[in-house]
Amino acid sequence: MPEFQIKQQKLQGGVVFLAVGGFLDAHTFEQMEKKINDLFEENSYRLIVDLSKLDYISSAGAGVFIGAIGTAQENDGNIVLVNPSPNVKEVFDLLGLSQIFVFASDVNSALQQFSG
Amino acid sequence: MSAISENLRITNDTKNLMAVREFMSRMIRASALPPNEENKVILAVDEAVSNIIEHGYEARIEGYIDITVDVTDEHFKIRIVDTGKNFDPERIRDPNILEHVRAGKRKGLGIFLMRQIMDEVRYIFKEGVHNELILIKYVRPPLPGAPATPPAPPGGNG
Repeated sequence: MPEFQIKQQKLQGGVVFLAVGGFLDAHTFEQMEKKINDLFEENSYRLIVDLSKLDYISSAGAGVFIGAIGTAQENDGNIVLVNPSPNVKEVFDLLGLSQIFVFASDVNSALQQFSG
Repeated sequence: MSAISENLRITNDTKNLMAVREFMSRMIRASALPPNEENKVILAVDEAVSNIIEHGYEARIEGYIDITVDVTDEHFKIRIVDTGKNFDPERIRDPNILEHVRAGKRKGLGIFLMRQIMDEVRYIFKEGVHNELILIKYVRPPLPGAPATPPAPPGGNG
């Protein structure tokens, strides 16, 4: 099994859903960074990222979201993170990022962040 | 528990981070550290090794990183040795995370995490020899009144 996987799906209202799995670290973060940059180039700034299948994240992985959230918000978008495992959420907590990112328990709750 | 000491040597390639994390997981599970420390201590070591791979060695120069873990009843000590450029984490200040996000900076958080997680982070630079990073997590004594060992499960035959 590959160390890191990303699956993409288009949802309503120009929202893009990304399901990521495996290990997001200094070895794999560039795949995530490229995916988000490609979406930004297509003017997709409303992203829902499902973290439920992500086994592990380091600061290199969290750094991708840190580097991207400002650009998303400046373009009327956001990055909403869905259902991280306790280990992954712990890293966001340790970095003080839980006050900055919106976390949702499922895709429908995440979609509500983009309504209105 | 008797003391344990084991070593892992890797080359300076991020593909080896998985092996580092597996090694750390095995050592933590053999130690007296509580299970809720496992992810954090693995993360601290991953951050240290990632920093060495990224900053310690010039591109395309192969080098080695030695990770030695010493486990006793009192502590979980990791010694990370490399022969790359010296890099003193004590010179790096903790980031203001709001400013970090505002500036869109995606790097520079590894040392902050190491300090958050470990009880001690020490750096020793031996010029012309090697760099040494020591990370220590102390095993906390049980809280007063807590049982020294978990109670036997009901109906058990031991």
